[in-house]
Amino acid sequence: MSIVKSKKISEIYTEKSGKYIKSQPIIGDSPFIIQSKELNLWYDETQALINVSLNIYKNKVTALIGPSGCGKSTLIRCFNRMNDVYDNVDITGEIFYSGLNILGKKIQVTKLRKKIGMIFQKPNPFPMTIYDNVAYGPRIQKINRKCNLDPIVEKSLKKAALWDEVKDRLDDSAISLSGGQQQRLCIARALAIEPDVLLMDEPTSSLDPIATAKIENLINELKKKYTVIIVTHNMQQATRISDYTGFMYLGELIEFDSTEQIFQKPKQDLTKRYIGGRFG
Amino acid sequence: MVKTMSATTVIKNKPSSILDLELKSEKSFTEKMVKPILFFSATFSIIIVFFQIFFFFQQASGAFAEVSLWDFITGTSWRPVEQQTYGAVPLIVGTFVTTLGAMIITVPIGILTAIYIAELAPRKLKKILKFIVELLSGIPSVVYGYFGLIVLTNWIRIIFDRPTGQSWLAGSIILSIMALPTVISVSVNALNAVPVEYKEAALGMGANRWEAISKVILPSAFSGITTAIILGTGRAIGETMAVLMVTGNTTIIPSPITNIFSPVRTITAALGIEIPETAIGGTHYTMLFALVIVLYVIIIVINSIAEFLSNKFNKKRDPKYLRKKKKKKPILSLQKSKIISRLNKKIFYSIFLHIFVFGLLLSWSNIWLALIGTIILFLIIKFYKRIPNKVQEKIAFGLIFSAVLMVFTTLIIVIGFVIIKGIPVISWKFLLSYPRDLGRDGGIFPAIVGSLYLVGGAVLFAVPLGIASGLYLAEYTKPNKFNRLIRMSIDNLNGTPSIVFGLFGFIVFCILTGWGKTLLAGQLTLALMILPTIIRTTEQSILSVPLDIREGSYALGANKWYTVKKIVIPSAIPGIITGTILGMGRAIGETAPIMFTAVVFNLRRLPNSPLSPVMALPYHLFLLSTTVPGGQENAYGTALVLFVLVLILYGMATLFQSKIEKHSEKHFILR
Repeated sequence: MSIVKSKKISEIYTEKSGKYIKSQPIIGDSPFIIQSKELNLWYDETQALINVSLNIYKNKVTALIGPSGCGKSTLIRCFNRMNDVYDNVDITGEIFYSGLNILGKKIQVTKLRKKIGMIFQKPNPFPMTIYDNVAYGPRIQKINRKCNLDPIVEKSLKKAALWDEVKDRLDDSAISLSGGQQQRLCIARALAIEPDVLLMDEPTSSLDPIATAKIENLINELKKKYTVIIVTHNMQQATRISDYTGFMYLGELIEFDSTEQIFQKPKQDLTKRYIGGRFG
Repeated sequence: MVKTMSATTVIKNKPSSILDLELKSEKSFTEKMVKPILFFSATFSIIIVFFQIFFFFQQASGAFAEVSLWDFITGTSWRPVEQQTYGAVPLIVGTFVTTLGAMIITVPIGILTAIYIAELAPRKLKKILKFIVELLSGIPSVVYGYFGLIVLTNWIRIIFDRPTGQSWLAGSIILSIMALPTVISVSVNALNAVPVEYKEAALGMGANRWEAISKVILPSAFSGITTAIILGTGRAIGETMAVLMVTGNTTIIPSPITNIFSPVRTITAALGIEIPETAIGGTHYTMLFALVIVLYVIIIVINSIAEFLSNKFNKKRDPKYLRKKKKKKPILSLQKSKIISRLNKKIFYSIFLHIFVFGLLLSWSNIWLALIGTIILFLIIKFYKRIPNKVQEKIAFGLIFSAVLMVFTTLIIVIGFVIIKGIPVISWKFLLSYPRDLGRDGGIFPAIVGSLYLVGGAVLFAVPLGIASGLYLAEYTKPNKFNRLIRMSIDNLNGTPSIVFGLFGFIVFCILTGWGKTLLAGQLTLALMILPTIIRTTEQSILSVPLDIREGSYALGANKWYTVKKIVIPSAIPGIITGTILGMGRAIGETAPIMFTAVVFNLRRLPNSPLSPVMALPYHLFLLSTTVPGGQENAYGTALVLFVLVLILYGMATLFQSKIEKHSEKHFILR
């Protein structure tokens, strides 16, 4: 994609959301929890994100859709600096979390990740007991006494709608759970450190429909207290659970709006064609 | 003034709860210290290699004051005691011919067995065969030597009607058994690395199994198999004790050169026999260290070739390399590359056949039989293409089965000998009493305890260091030049013959420190020897911990050290334990590293401090069988005890290994 075209797209976007934002309340009581500004990201020589500017609303579910390899996962991995794990990544631009640029050098990444939790594509429970999995996060923060941990574990598992299924076998290995249970365990694990934001990277892509439905119900519950950003391949899923939707294509954010707007009256032709199933 | 907002204006309010994100006190003291400590441990391998080279040159310095370098390299007489002649040629020839003979036997059998294990064997049999190969590699060299001395040389004496069976042939046969596991296991890895799609493609086009193997799989694994052969050669060249016990140790050049019944003395055997008999610092002593340098150079050259080949092999599989290669190559040169690959195949087959023919010549040494064999082979090559595919397959599979059978039989004969001869000797008295009458009578209690002390101590030193180095290599470093230097040093240490470790330990821990023969010196020497095994297995098991589990930990706000401590190391522990046990199995059977540094014969009490000498099983067996007439009975018992200890260790390692495999399989399926 040429540079000229990419500039054009981001201008259009800025104009539009600028209009939209004017009607919102101003400084001091911002509706946004995460904002990215002119974000560019390279893996070695390949540019994976091009001028992405995006606002994420507090306590809402935001879905990112788009074809494979469009940069959705890369984008949300920027929000908790998970891309730091790889050493071939270069980033320019800014990401603000509650007004603080988290790409700054002074940022303590570990503390940031406590505020912004993440759920991965494949359930990745640690090879230890269910209890220890949930207690992993609190233990990092030096909460070690059982009398303090027990209520956290119970509360988190309840929030993740897993408590009833595992309360009698907390000392079993997490590996013995089914795929859907494992994913809910991972959600419970993330909730145990009380984050503000939950990043979900295609959390249901490796699960069967029943487990998926459970996770989706859970997300609907979670948005009362948390901001959820979910990457999904599944457009029905985006319409079912999200309040806002962003459509990405080849590393650019093509369109961002309320989910209703995107799926019923998309402004960009590209979006229309993708939602219409004409490519993807 | 009211500010309006756009997506690019950013709200500058900071809730107090996130203010602490900016505090820069992230790394605790421990986390800061981890990397330097690991780094130091990793550099340890480089330091050892450096000191090895340094000390050998230092000890050999002055070697050529009395004897010229030219006389050393070209002299055909090595009689240091009688004539003060120091010509290295007989020793170099001795090393060369025994190794060559060994490889002639090992290569075909090893490769055929590897094909069977990798491609043909049913799953259960595969496991058994792998264990057999592992066990063959675990049997102590002194036990092989003992077997060679008692059984093999006797057979050779009777079958060929010679005055003595101690000969080049005996040395080659014993070495071929010892190099076999290396050749087999590295070849199996190379064959397994061939993508299964290649095989499927060949079979899908209607090739039978042998055609798929010979035309697709073997050529793809060519460089891997070559690496296996070279590593096996390195193993054979570096072996000391077994060769020393069966080759007769006369420093003559076989005449004619093909006389396989001539006794020979190898470089390693010369070191093993003569070092204890020389005055430190004398001409003989310095000349022996000049020999060490020769041996070291040979080994380094061999290791470098293996390294180079396996790098090439790995690169071939690297998609990045393939892409580059494609770009560089214009379509026109396709023709050329085809010719080259055809040439390669031809070279491969011809080497294979030449080795075979030569092997026949040697092993029969009967010109008529050899001639007939050669003619038959020639006919096979000539008419091979005309033989129907099915018959070809049958012939090939027949050869493969007979190779497997030979490996199996060898193991049974060696183990059977040890067990049948050893069992009558074993009793509580034998296990729990002290030796009497130079070990002819009484028991081996102090030798068992001494061996356990030696191995225990070696593990105590090597494991922390090995885990730290492995951890550094797997987690805390990126590929750069220094990292490569560390890896090269580790590979080098891994290929260094055990007698070289023994001499290094002797110089550093016995002479430089002034301790003399001590338990501690033996433990340290063995520790250096098993260090590379532990580093490698640690690195591999750490790398096999999946990335997504680490990411899960990072996403919860864990820092690197916390993740390593809580997730990575616990998952890697079974693998590390396996590596450690294998290292112990190797350490307990080694004689060469401890014979100069720690062990003495016929001790009446247990060591009471780390600075007192000990007895050890392999050395006890060595002396009973070579220098104590009438020590036969107790030697059988000692060999059995040593073998059982090794068997227990290897059995444990295999159990652990299969547990890990089961665990990871389960993990994999459920996720």
